Amino acid sequence: MKSPNRIRIVTNNPLVKQILSDWYTVEYYEDATYRDILVKVRDMVYNGYELFTHPMAGSVKPNETMYKSIVVGTDQKGTDIDHCKLMMNALITCDKFKPTGVQYSDYHYKDFQLIDYTLLCGALDFDAIAGLSKANM
Amino acid sequence: MKLELGFIKINDVQFSNECAVKDGILYVNPEEVKEYVYDYDDVKQFVKSISFDIAKPGESVRITPVKDVIEPRCKVEGPGVIFPGVMNHKVDTVGSGRTHVLKGAAVVTAGKIVGFQEGLIDMTGPGAQYTPFSKTLNIVMVCEPVEGTKQHDYERAVRFAGLRAAGFIGQIGKNVEPDEIKTYETLGIKEGIEKYPNLPRVGYVHMLQTQGLLHDTYVYGVDAKRIVATLINPTETMDGAILSGNCVSACDKNTTYHHLNNPVVAELFEEHGKTINYVCNIITNENVYLADKQRGSDWAAKLAKLLDLDAVIVSEEGFGNPDADLIMNCTKQEKQGIKTVLVTDEYAGQDGKSQGLADSDPLADAVVSGGNANMPVVLPPMDKIIGMTDYVDVCSGGHAGSLRPDGSIEAELQIITGATNEMGFNCMSAR
Repeated sequence: MKSPNRIRIVTNNPLVKQILSDWYTVEYYEDATYRDILVKVRDMVYNGYELFTHPMAGSVKPNETMYKSIVVGTDQKGTDIDHCKLMMNALITCDKFKPTGVQYSDYHYKDFQLIDYTLLCGALDFDAIAGLSKANM
Repeated sequence: MKLELGFIKINDVQFSNECAVKDGILYVNPEEVKEYVYDYDDVKQFVKSISFDIAKPGESVRITPVKDVIEPRCKVEGPGVIFPGVMNHKVDTVGSGRTHVLKGAAVVTAGKIVGFQEGLIDMTGPGAQYTPFSKTLNIVMVCEPVEGTKQHDYERAVRFAGLRAAGFIGQIGKNVEPDEIKTYETLGIKEGIEKYPNLPRVGYVHMLQTQGLLHDTYVYGVDAKRIVATLINPTETMDGAILSGNCVSACDKNTTYHHLNNPVVAELFEEHGKTINYVCNIITNENVYLADKQRGSDWAAKLAKLLDLDAVIVSEEGFGNPDADLIMNCTKQEKQGIKTVLVTDEYAGQDGKSQGLADSDPLADAVVSGGNANMPVVLPPMDKIIGMTDYVDVCSGGHAGSLRPDGSIEAELQIITGATNEMGFNCMSAR
């Protein structure tokens, strides 16, 4: 797994909080929307915190899933213009998608959590399946 | 590396007590296929049932939700087996000798993997024009999970079930005389320069979706998240060296069928020795970690430079963050003097007026678009559903009320399998 030093996971995904808090610094925003997380991370990046993962991980669309996890640095290193551009484009892309109005069931939420979690694990070289097993899931 | 593809033209598919090809008709015994597929614990343990059906072009049939589409093929001569790394654990290098193709047939896996689903294929009507799989004779395997099966175990089991079924059915053509044989050959570096000294050296940077559950691609059975950019002979892809584990975003994911029939590879071979020297493919991944994206694009550029390429075609797979890889690959190649042409699709909003990609650069000035995935479509009801429509509203491209009471569907184009394929294998442009 990638070193937890000097990085944090910014997320609204309870599954990420549940499993990865033992290994990484997790900033969990329970009531944040997908877009809220993008805005938070955008502001962090603008303020000089380094971006480690792409904000648009996966092909599940912004108007489908409600969960988003992004890895950001813990040290202010100066504003990276390319990372600012990534965050700006992520928000532009997010806003292109119309709300679907779908009422999701509990298992939909769990599956979206799972996908976001596995995408994050892929980025961190963290064994996603072992993490789920340890959490008895 | 040289490969002969023997195309056996399939004009019809029927279920039968035997497995055979006679007069262009493929006869399949579904029980034999099922027995072969279930012979492995990794399917038996997790797949409760597989039901088979056939969907033919022009029929009023809708297949949903679609996981993968695979073309039945088999090795006849030369090392290795079709789908190396999956079939019988063999990993010999493929792409040489001869391979038979049951042309016109396809195996389609369908059924639930997770709560939200992806993809449909209409065999007739307006939806049919947006997918290449309305033109294939589809042997559909609708799979159901064993109760309590974990999603990652089930995805793997269904993936293997489809590949094994396609491998088994492909074997039916092993001793059949092909209707047409085509030969594909790329040369070594020295040999190519000597034979085609005045032709521009062209390569294909093939980006693979590699991000996590339902977003993965496998190269000789290896999770491509774990690879660094590397070279692969184009003919290796024709033997299934690259396989899809991607069942998210139906419109622009590359099914295994797409990998086997890569249109960029096909067109480069058409021009090989005439207007270009087609040197090789460079495969690279689309990881989420930004440093991985940097490494992937740095290595693709390094390999292209090492091979003295004059130009590359770059295709991507997926939505959103792969656009960053696409632009990285483009700019790094261009900055070292290697011309690029990019193949992608767009998410330009329902009115088509928004920026189509999540990233851009002035150096990306030669781009082929596979279409706008946000385009609204209305699909009429079909007489028969293979699979289940329970998930239409939650499909990518769907919304509340997408599945109307009369069975018609109002959604975005991205709901249709293969509609905006980013290799250009679609009905909307490029091909």
